[in-house]
Amino acid sequence: MRVSLFVTCLGDRFFADAAADAVRLLRSLDVDVDFPPNQTCCGQPAWNAGHVPEALDMATHTAAVFADSDYVVLPSGSCTAMLRHTYPRLLDSPELAERSYELAEFIVDVLKVIEIGRGLEGRQIAYHHGCHALRELGVEQQPVRLLESAGARVVPWEMDQECCGFGGLFSVKTPEVSVAMADRKLDTLPDVQTVVSADGGCLLQLEGRARRRRMPIRFRSLASTLWEARRGST
Amino acid sequence: MSGDARARILGRVREANRDREPVSHPGPLPEAAEPPARFGDPSRADRVGAFEDRLRAAGGEVVRLVDEDEARQWLKEFASGFESASVCAGVPEAFQPAIPAAPPSGAMLGVSAAVGAAAQTGSLLLSSREGRRPQLLPPVHLVWVQAQDVRLTLEEALDTCRQDLPAVLALHSGPSKSADIGQILVTGVHGPGRIVAAIVGGGRER
Amino acid sequence: MEVRSRDYRERARHIIEDTPDVREAVTAATITFVENRSKAFADLDAEALSRWAEQVKSHALTHLGDYLEEAEARLVERGVHVHWAETASDVHQIFKSIVRENDVQKVVKAKSMLSEELALNPFLESCGVEVFETDLGEYIIQLLGEPPSHIVGPSIHKSLEDTRVLFHERLGTPRDASPERLAAAARDLLRGQFLTADLGVSGGNFLVAETGSIALIENEGNIRLSTSVPRIHVALVGIEKVLPRWTDLPTFLQITSKSATGQPVGTFVSIIQGPGGAAGGEPDGPEEVHVVLVDNGRTRLLADPEVWEALRCVRCGACLNICPVYRQTGGHAYGYVYSGPIGAITNPGLVGLEETWPLPFASTACGACKDVCPVRIPIPDLLHVWRRRAVERGLTSPEEASVLRLWASAATRARLFGWAENLAALVPDWALRRLPMLREWTAGREPPRAAGQTFRERWDEGIE
Repeated sequence: MRVSLFVTCLGDRFFADAAADAVRLLRSLDVDVDFPPNQTCCGQPAWNAGHVPEALDMATHTAAVFADSDYVVLPSGSCTAMLRHTYPRLLDSPELAERSYELAEFIVDVLKVIEIGRGLEGRQIAYHHGCHALRELGVEQQPVRLLESAGARVVPWEMDQECCGFGGLFSVKTPEVSVAMADRKLDTLPDVQTVVSADGGCLLQLEGRARRRRMPIRFRSLASTLWEARRGST
Repeated sequence: MSGDARARILGRVREANRDREPVSHPGPLPEAAEPPARFGDPSRADRVGAFEDRLRAAGGEVVRLVDEDEARQWLKEFASGFESASVCAGVPEAFQPAIPAAPPSGAMLGVSAAVGAAAQTGSLLLSSREGRRPQLLPPVHLVWVQAQDVRLTLEEALDTCRQDLPAVLALHSGPSKSADIGQILVTGVHGPGRIVAAIVGGGRER
Repeated sequence: MEVRSRDYRERARHIIEDTPDVREAVTAATITFVENRSKAFADLDAEALSRWAEQVKSHALTHLGDYLEEAEARLVERGVHVHWAETASDVHQIFKSIVRENDVQKVVKAKSMLSEELALNPFLESCGVEVFETDLGEYIIQLLGEPPSHIVGPSIHKSLEDTRVLFHERLGTPRDASPERLAAAARDLLRGQFLTADLGVSGGNFLVAETGSIALIENEGNIRLSTSVPRIHVALVGIEKVLPRWTDLPTFLQITSKSATGQPVGTFVSIIQGPGGAAGGEPDGPEEVHVVLVDNGRTRLLADPEVWEALRCVRCGACLNICPVYRQTGGHAYGYVYSGPIGAITNPGLVGLEETWPLPFASTACGACKDVCPVRIPIPDLLHVWRRRAVERGLTSPEEASVLRLWASAATRARLFGWAENLAALVPDWALRRLPMLREWTAGREPPRAAGQTFRERWDEGIE
């Protein structure tokens, strides 16, 4: 089986480790990974901000880049949602949508794998469900099951499904409200050391605020956490 | 004038819908979607018991009376706690308390006869034909219901009134309440703070 | 009501930074509403129910002309005066006539968001009429001179302490009065007004076409009193409130109540067909009932092929309650009658995008609202329509447009994109705190830390 990795613009710049871990994880599950070099940005920031022509340009480019891929796997819930939920309308074609998956979703729903290792034994994790993955893709229990089968305890968190306040450009256009939303998430966290999320934007938002508030919490991408689970480590 | 406004509004409405795909009415609610009629103890199969559970959960009081005799006895005791009552027109003589009458705005107890009830929502159906003020102004509201008039669903209950609607058909499903003051629940804000449903007949299933 | 939606960001900032109690009060209230709604729908097939309700409402809207005429005919048969009003001004004229013909001195009012759109209270007052809001939450904000902060609970932004202070000053209650004492003070004062008012004004939750019935849902009893005690009752009903059949009503009463507060049904429901008293052959009740069918921008929304579905709204407030953006500020940040997600998609249609364009952007498009809407309004999609239009009409910032055009240019040329990424990594810290957009980030958050190499550089080197 061969998949193409769509690293995403945030991933390329800010989550290179996580994306590399995603590659290692997939390879360890006997999946070949290629990386079409002309990939850039799925166009979501433009789309969400109402700039449709720009979004269309980026969508057209992206569809061409992945035209020959059997599967496209993304270490990002929101970008996957853009491809699955919005591209069919934007490009008038469902075709790329049908081949695109978020990483945890791909492992559980396509590879049909739940047990990837025991490397998270004894870890207490709070999982933040990114809104697009949760509500547009319906990806809810896949990440949690993978984490738990690897020995982690995903600690109950009342506000785990509430939006973190990133929302793309919302974070800088309405920053006061955005920060207030991040604060609500952080103030309601259970007693854990690590928060995990499948979304780069969410991680930047929550980590950015937590660091400003000097909160001693670690934020990790789902991809890196799952690789840790697989590889087994302390 | 209003007539021109009418023509213009209807004109714009029809123009707005002119090229739109009309949507058909889906018909009755599919059974699977019906809000559950039973509430509380599922082993309680009777409509009246379900009604009782629902109204009590909303803060109402319910008393079950086997027949008119028991009703009279209970009423005598209950009414003795009130100085005066305002009784709606049409409440049968047996169900009128033997205490001094007072106008609705001064009476301590208002007495009604429901035209129906619905277990699904714990609602008493009250008609304006009996007069509205005794239903609203006194702080305590006693409502007589015949057990046979208690329906399972709100739809059934409303259906029985469909052909002969009064000026207002009211549903009372609990005591007046508000959480507008700091999200704290208080009762008896404008309407009666106490509602008592006295259900007559229907035996006593347990 | 004046439209101040263009100031959304500033109003939101002020509420969050200068009056933090509001955020706390609104958060606590909305969380309770959400929990209660959740319990109410736990043993229900909410999806089947919402699909049915969506279809009933869409059917009503796509046949609205016929149903409005049917409703009118039934109402007139019962002796109700039916008026049609296109604008607030029309409504004012209608009230002016009624007030003059009947020498109306005092009005008691039940909660009506539509009446806020129409600025009814100031108009009545300018006619020399005394107006008393009777819903406890509305009464509180009337004393404060504020607009409502939420569709269902107008005063959720006010705490118990706020109300204690207010009532102590205005009604003379003790400074530490219990909630019961405060409510009793309001009740006693308003009781007198009900009994001496000449006219009662209500809104309308639903207008059943088949029977010409106006249905009103409440918990306090002030609607029952306002529509029963005064000699005249005037109901303000938006034309979109139509329900086709009597048999539609019980389900809509239940889903609206459950969605709003989690109750099986609101404590009091008034289903009004016509006048009482001598006119109706009944012991009491209003001698005169008027229904004013109001447009005020609704036909404009109806005509809009991309956003007409917003008119299915039953005003339950569920979308406000679940919205994480609304929760931070309450309704006053939105600057017009309707706030939260429904406000963001309706206000631009009612009063124009030019006045309200920041509202569709007052959202992260998280989608939580769509999950709880009992009539399945596709709120995120409608938000996007308005966003797209705001950009097309040049209402959004030109800087943002330039940045995104540049971004798109780079993103369609992979090599260029790679260089741009590397350049971005070289932006010094001081610039991050100064440049537009970037400084908005760093005002409250640490900037993202760029890893040493981009992923594509690592890939080129080979990933072990």
